[in-house]
Amino acid sequence: MRPLTGKRILIICAALAGVLLLVVLLSLRFGTWSISFYDLAVQLFHAAIGHNDQLTSDFRLIILNIRWPRILLAIIVGASLSVAGASFQALLRNPLADPYVLGVSSGAALGSILSLIWAEQLPGATPFGAFIGAVAATAAVYFLGQRGGELDSYMLLLGGIIAASFLSALIMFLMTTISGRELRGMAFWLMGDLSTPTPINAGWLFLVLLLAVGAIYSTAADLNLLLGGEQEAMHLGVNVVRVKLVVFLAASVLTGLAVSVSGAIGYVGLMVPHLIRLFFGSDYRLLIPATALGGAIAVVLADTLARTLVSPTQLPVGAMTALVGAPVFIFLLRRNKT
Amino acid sequence: MRHNRAIAAAAWILLAALAAPRSGAQSGPAAPAKAADAVVEFHDELGRLVRMRASPQRIVSLAPNLTETVFALDLGARLAGVTDFCDYPPEAKTRARVGGPINPNLEQIAALHPDVVLATKGLNRADTVDALDRLGIPVYTTDPRTVADVVTSTRRLGEVLGAKANGDALAASLERRLAELARQLAGRAPRRVFFVVWLDPIISTGAHTFLADALRRAGAESVVTSSQDWPQINIEEVLKENPEYLVFAGMHQDDPQGAINSLKTRPGWSSLAAVRDGHFAVVSDALDRPAPRMLDAIEELAHQLHPDAFPPARPPQPASSIRRSLD
Repeated sequence: MRPLTGKRILIICAALAGVLLLVVLLSLRFGTWSISFYDLAVQLFHAAIGHNDQLTSDFRLIILNIRWPRILLAIIVGASLSVAGASFQALLRNPLADPYVLGVSSGAALGSILSLIWAEQLPGATPFGAFIGAVAATAAVYFLGQRGGELDSYMLLLGGIIAASFLSALIMFLMTTISGRELRGMAFWLMGDLSTPTPINAGWLFLVLLLAVGAIYSTAADLNLLLGGEQEAMHLGVNVVRVKLVVFLAASVLTGLAVSVSGAIGYVGLMVPHLIRLFFGSDYRLLIPATALGGAIAVVLADTLARTLVSPTQLPVGAMTALVGAPVFIFLLRRNKT
Repeated sequence: MRHNRAIAAAAWILLAALAAPRSGAQSGPAAPAKAADAVVEFHDELGRLVRMRASPQRIVSLAPNLTETVFALDLGARLAGVTDFCDYPPEAKTRARVGGPINPNLEQIAALHPDVVLATKGLNRADTVDALDRLGIPVYTTDPRTVADVVTSTRRLGEVLGAKANGDALAASLERRLAELARQLAGRAPRRVFFVVWLDPIISTGAHTFLADALRRAGAESVVTSSQDWPQINIEEVLKENPEYLVFAGMHQDDPQGAINSLKTRPGWSSLAAVRDGHFAVVSDALDRPAPRMLDAIEELAHQLHPDAFPPARPPQPASSIRRSLD
């Protein structure tokens, strides 16, 4: 692996941004209502230079008002989940960590359901509930994963599975006992779904995403040292407690953000950081921005497939990511053993 | 004077020229309404104010019961899109599909350029209604919870869709049939029934569902009084309540006869009096669809549960009679 320079980070990120742009264009092009690449280019050009009167009403309604916000959401969710995954992998020193596998997504889901029940009218209640749920679940799994005062890889995964199934049972319990509420869509949402646009402004979501990813990025150099072991990192002058706290909180924010708008989309946080490591190495200074872009690419692609494969019916995007992600997980687990 | 008139004319031309590109720029959804497509406002059954074109020509239905109602109102020709689950009348299957009621495809709905989208609270999500709202697509939502609500809702839908006469006639015919049924069943004790939504696991219907009300209208009373809508029931509970009849609807039981036969050998069920005596009633799935066709199913069930209440020569009215009565 070549030494990591600022230039190399920039080049790789620019390349990934290019791929993301390409994927976004493909996603804008394909759907129930189709548009040729030429028309898409012409209309996008008009939209870009502010000639809104040149836009057809179908383009404005379907591409600009339905498809584009959904793609934007997919980008935000994908980036959040992948960076959260990469962070949990560093925090727990376990390459198999992922917000979904660890039960953190289930915690966030339970948090948002509880917030819907207790404080439905409060603006921002759902994301906040999801955040609290994510923090609580991460903390619980962290303690479940200890054996003899140290984090144990298998205990951690087991703890995550136990937490996920326990939280799912709680969610089932709430969904069956509380009637007369808007819980019908929840089963769908729990699978991970981007088909219903959220009323939350995408600008705010982007801001939170940038802040949380920025916070994690500021610890990137320390995370690299932390991967070698906590004791070693401490000897090298890393404030381990502070780094872990920052990353833990920021990753929970990211998970809560993603879950509150799209439900529990699985395996993105696992697959994307692994693929990025495979191609570009595991230095967190590159890994974090590259994972954010890679996650955005993965979820935009998955959601495009989810809404076009059996059109006009749509699959939950979580089904798509699990379809690809679960086999990858098994592969990594087996490779990890040897 | 002539001079003044020329100035006025020039001013008018200038004004028109100034105004023209503006009105052109507003093409699309915000185009100025022509006299022919006047805009009307209605409050839907959730109290939301719906602004839409009078007498909408392109309707998208997001629920099977709404699709049926639109056809029953003789407005089927205006249905541009229906859900994957809209299977009645068979003609509904020829319409463009917009996906399932819970996750309809917003792009597909928008591409159909509907004048109005019909939704129902019992099946669709508030999120979907809000999303369509933000896109500027008018959504009219119904919320029938009882048989009487369906009659009111149907009448109102006729008015909203610009076919008030059809709505009034259909509602009046439904009311007439309900009154006739009530008269025939007067003085008879309701049959204590167990409604089987599903057998594995056993799911029945709660006390507050539309179905429970339909059962009451058919001279039946569910032995299940759960406040949950679709409670899972323990077989012990069924044995304890010892219902007179088991009622099956076509909806979830693809093969009701097969299910009935299997009950005779199942532990628990086989010792139930209703099973021993062959007290089964099988009706169409319309019983659980808040649409005009529910009355066919209610009458059908009443005939099966109280055969002696009806003169033997008179079979239940066929479904087509609802539409015929409109002509």
